[in-house]
Amino acid sequence: MILQTAFNGFVSGIIVTLPALAITLLFGVLKFPNFAVGSMMTLAAYVVFALNVQLGLPLTLATAIGAILFGGVLIFIDALTFRPLRERGSITLMVASLGLGFVLENIARLAYGNTARSFALELARPFRFLDVRMNREQMIAIVAASIALVAMYFLLTRMPIGRAMRAVADNPALALVRGIESPTVIRWTWFIAGVLLAVGGVLIGMDRALEPPMGSNYLIMVFAAAILGGLGSPLGAFVGALIIGIVSELSTLVIAPNYRIGIPLCVIALILIFRPQGLFGQPHIRR
Amino acid sequence: MSDILAVRGLHAGYGAGDILKGIDVVVPRGEVVTIIGPNGSGKSTLIKTLAGLLSVREGEIVLDGARLNGLSAPQRVRAGLSYVPQEYNVFRNLTVYENLKIAHEFMGARSKNGAKVLDDELLALFPELPGKFRTLAGNLSGGQRQMLAFACALTIQPKLLMLDEPSASLSPKYMADIFGTIKKVNSRGVTVFMVEQNAVGALRISDTCVVMANGRVRVTAPAAEVLSKPDLQSLYLGDARAQTGAS
Repeated sequence: MILQTAFNGFVSGIIVTLPALAITLLFGVLKFPNFAVGSMMTLAAYVVFALNVQLGLPLTLATAIGAILFGGVLIFIDALTFRPLRERGSITLMVASLGLGFVLENIARLAYGNTARSFALELARPFRFLDVRMNREQMIAIVAASIALVAMYFLLTRMPIGRAMRAVADNPALALVRGIESPTVIRWTWFIAGVLLAVGGVLIGMDRALEPPMGSNYLIMVFAAAILGGLGSPLGAFVGALIIGIVSELSTLVIAPNYRIGIPLCVIALILIFRPQGLFGQPHIRR
Repeated sequence: MSDILAVRGLHAGYGAGDILKGIDVVVPRGEVVTIIGPNGSGKSTLIKTLAGLLSVREGEIVLDGARLNGLSAPQRVRAGLSYVPQEYNVFRNLTVYENLKIAHEFMGARSKNGAKVLDDELLALFPELPGKFRTLAGNLSGGQRQMLAFACALTIQPKLLMLDEPSASLSPKYMADIFGTIKKVNSRGVTVFMVEQNAVGALRISDTCVVMANGRVRVTAPAAEVLSKPDLQSLYLGDARAQTGAS
């Protein structure tokens, strides 16, 4: 029972890793908490739904095309929404992201209504390993998220644009005098966040159901993961997401499942009191 | 000898008021030029404006015959202007190698370097760095960080190397090293323009001294002349001389 619950939590955590990474990348480069990520995941999942169910593309291909499309959509959204506000500080950008979240969620609602939908995926029989029941959606989630994480690792550590993103996150003024064009880095950051959110949205849609509030329902868990790991730290987002996923799921062994959402909230409160920089973040220095 | 940098009637600042109120300064090719002056005189503002981190409100900046006004900071780097800020001058969460790699990739390094982040000249100048490649830059000592920042700035062959208080917060040992390194860099043909509080130490390796006060250039004189005349020292260097214990 404990092993099964821990496995379910691991899967929840690994799904949350992707949006948590998106938040942490966006926060690192743009220096504001983006509360629209939940709705962005929802919209991205509906884009993939349109390609998969309405155009009949296989889910893998639909996700790949949808992720690239949505990366472009986020660059456009940034140009329209955040770029004009960039000089006004992080509070303004955060409030704008809240408003944007409402708008995006309701665009999805306007297009597809409130009815829960699902991707075109054939039913498959679950299988057992070491007394743990695993279904195909869970295995897809583990494989897809692992591929995305390895790709992110290589991008951030081995590719010039990834190093540039980390440099801008570390010290934006120094990045400028090291020749890094921040508008290019910002566009790449939105694109990569778009890809992560699209894959995350599809995995959530497969795990639960496709409906307008699906992304927002994960928002607290995603932020808890990013804050626990340390906002701005990609490794932290990964570890934080796994811890939050497993602890939340294990908590259902002792508290009613409806109260599970209280766990990430408690984690946010505790981490902000005792270690505000998170597990892997750097202490904030006021300059 | 031609001037590598010419600044004419430069106005810049933060908010409503100007901090620089009409700066005129030239840097001859191959020289070390040091700006000194009291706190708040606009030394760092000048160097940040030249680097492209602050907008020019009025005036002109010309580097090796090319006008820099309107160019972004990264464009100025690729035009040959390399800048080492006073502090936070390395990416602390990146390794030493990654810091050098970024400089190599984005500053427009000479192609003869190939994939190497340090060419032979830089290896000779900074022999400690290869042993620290995997260390996070934030874990280096102050002096090592300064050396890394210098190496990054010299990854290109800059037309002008600008340094903002290179000896600030360094131990006395590293302070002597840093001025020695600047002199070596200059002897390899790099023109240096620096702001420095440790006026005596800086002027010993400089050709020209520029004294700033209240956002204006007050005096431009040969560094040796300023150092050799006690009356000029007390006039231009003030307390700086006493603070450094120079004789």
